[in-house]
Amino acid sequence: MSSAPPLAMGYEALRPKILQRLLDLRSTLDPSLGRLDDPTARAQIGAVLDHLGNFIATGDLGLHRAFLHTFMAMRAAEAQSPASVLAMLVAIGDTAAQVAQDEGAGTSAGSELTLLLTRVTASTARAVNDLIADELARRMGQWGELSKKEREGGKPK
Amino acid sequence: MTAPAPTAGVRVAGDTNVGKVRTSNEDSMIVDAMHGLFVVLDGMGGANAGDIASQMARDAIAEFVQHRRSTMPMRALLEGAIQSGCATVFAAAQANRERHGMGTTCVACLMVDPTHALIGHVGDSRAYLLRGGRLQMLTRDHTIVEELVDRGLLSPDEADRHPYKNVLSRNLGARSETRVDIVEIELKPGDRVLLCSDGLYGYASAEGIQYILGSGDAPDHVARDLIELALRGGGGDNVTTIVIEAPQPAPSSTQLVRTNGAVAWWQRRQRFLHVAKERGLTRNPIVRGLEPKEALELIALSLCQAIFHDLEKSTGVNVWTFAQNLAGGWFERGGDWAALRGMMDVLGESSRTVVDEIRTTEPQLGFLLDVAVSRALVVAELALGGLLADRLRQVDTDLIQLHTANQETIDAPEEMFEIGEQFIDRPTIPFLRPDRVVTNSGESAEVLSAIEKTLTIARARTAPRAELVKHVLTALEAIASDGASSFATSVLAARDIYGVRTVDDNGIMPLFDALDQARILTASSVHQITVPEHIRARTLRAISAAHQRLVGATTGLVLEAAAPYTDKLRESQAMTSQLRGQVAQAEKKRAELERKFATGVDPSLPWGARGTTEW
Repeated sequence: MSSAPPLAMGYEALRPKILQRLLDLRSTLDPSLGRLDDPTARAQIGAVLDHLGNFIATGDLGLHRAFLHTFMAMRAAEAQSPASVLAMLVAIGDTAAQVAQDEGAGTSAGSELTLLLTRVTASTARAVNDLIADELARRMGQWGELSKKEREGGKPK
Repeated sequence: MTAPAPTAGVRVAGDTNVGKVRTSNEDSMIVDAMHGLFVVLDGMGGANAGDIASQMARDAIAEFVQHRRSTMPMRALLEGAIQSGCATVFAAAQANRERHGMGTTCVACLMVDPTHALIGHVGDSRAYLLRGGRLQMLTRDHTIVEELVDRGLLSPDEADRHPYKNVLSRNLGARSETRVDIVEIELKPGDRVLLCSDGLYGYASAEGIQYILGSGDAPDHVARDLIELALRGGGGDNVTTIVIEAPQPAPSSTQLVRTNGAVAWWQRRQRFLHVAKERGLTRNPIVRGLEPKEALELIALSLCQAIFHDLEKSTGVNVWTFAQNLAGGWFERGGDWAALRGMMDVLGESSRTVVDEIRTTEPQLGFLLDVAVSRALVVAELALGGLLADRLRQVDTDLIQLHTANQETIDAPEEMFEIGEQFIDRPTIPFLRPDRVVTNSGESAEVLSAIEKTLTIARARTAPRAELVKHVLTALEAIASDGASSFATSVLAARDIYGVRTVDDNGIMPLFDALDQARILTASSVHQITVPEHIRARTLRAISAAHQRLVGATTGLVLEAAAPYTDKLRESQAMTSQLRGQVAQAEKKRAELERKFATGVDPSLPWGARGTTEW
């Protein structure tokens, strides 16, 4: 991502507008976000936008993945399913790209930022799917161990 | 000067279908462009009263608006029309015993002018607004469960699974008048409003509705496609849709280029297949056993076609379906994520190569295609994520069952310890018994302080009369702050809040409601304290573990209290089993006697070899 810094600056400049649009639309993004009061929703969406900015600036997928891991764990503790977390993150990325497209219509920087945000959303979706798949593999392992225990426990003594 | 027609430049269409299960259609609708009135009604009630209720309300509402539109303020007109529908249905229900209890939902859009509309509703028929490609719900279902969610007594996730999620708290016909919720919306060029009965959103995902509504198709096609979507999802109920489109802006260059983009994409399909082959699609385990040509056509060409259709219609539904079919089939065969991931990578890289080539010759078109194809691939990831999450939930359920079965078969403490050692550090099973050994012997002072702050905020946010919730919060603080996380603390706290309760709905439900409300309160309060993120995460984990222990201990107490009833049930079951045995023996004896009697008949008698009891 050699062109990331100028685009990262462009993103930072758009960030307040993206945040505002997300706050306006939050009840359609995610029911639990819709129920939060304005400051809490602002903080949660703001955290995701911050990390998107970091990812655009650094291109560090490992860091991005670590953030998503924590973010998913926090939402899981609030009884939110992985699928709805994925949908929410994609909706945030999509809205950011939409704002970039609307605001930068006709300019090459606007177009590049739109494309970059769309690709970042794709990377985010893939990273979330990887995390869900990891969790699934871990639990399948547990399931295997427990099944084995059950079979052993079921044998006559 | 004549005022402009309320729907000048507005395109509207509606459609309805009986569905795949019901035999009659109890939905009704009004599409009256002249008076700017559009309504969906979903009737209910036995003995064919549902369709009568929705038709009566429909006629009353239409008549009210037709006669008063020019004389009444718009808001009062809409409310009056819906109330008139309510009064008509109520009167009819009172007059005829067979129609007692009939009623109908109602969602209505009254166009004030082409850029302003009023939405009024009662019940669970819905109105949505599609703006800038995003779907937004304009109404809130009037159901008992939704009201419990509003009061914080149920979480949205629990509401989705609640057995009474469809029980209405308001309808037209239950009383002579009802409360009508009305919202005013300003329509922007190209906005679309969807009115629908629960037969649509009950059988079609919000994403699916969004994609179809967001397509460039005319409203009549969209109304029909939405119904088709619900039918594909099972079609378990009558389904009705009305699509209202605000006047369109002049066609944008983006829209035109996008159409050209779809053609440019489709023209390069052979190139896409070629690149996919080069990148190893035919070697992927998913297509093992297939001829390379067959594999390319089955996977790459299908995706190419799906992207083309989605580009053409500005939706994602075709790529979504492609990804679901591909992953669903692979997972059913026991396939793993790695192969699927590899396949998606090959397809993604191939599409990028093709788009890059278009960009070199047609930069603007290529750029638009790049964004559109990247979005299509995000849709594919969303579909895959949904399937992965479904599998995760299924494995979770199996794990809980297995874990419960294992706990029941363990009789020696050392065996329990053996199990504990293996799963101690994996708090993935939601139900945590209070006596489970925990590894973290204590939390840091920072976390303890954060727990205290969180609970203080949660207490401050608790309703003044919710004493039980306050008790639960106090118990949570005690358990979460207990360094040793001992069994005794959880059980003592549970005993404290359990008190003396009867084992019935009145005794138990408020207790579990309070436990749940406390969970919701603490989960949101933890975000209001100012601490580093890792401390917040640990705090949330500590409170969550404490909550699980408290629920475990409380459940234990409930089971203990229910034990005498369980014993009685067991005794009754044993007695039933004994009686069944005696009946079986008597049956056997009777059969033997019949056989003996039948074979004792003289075969030389003229009416045959076997006798009957008649002679």
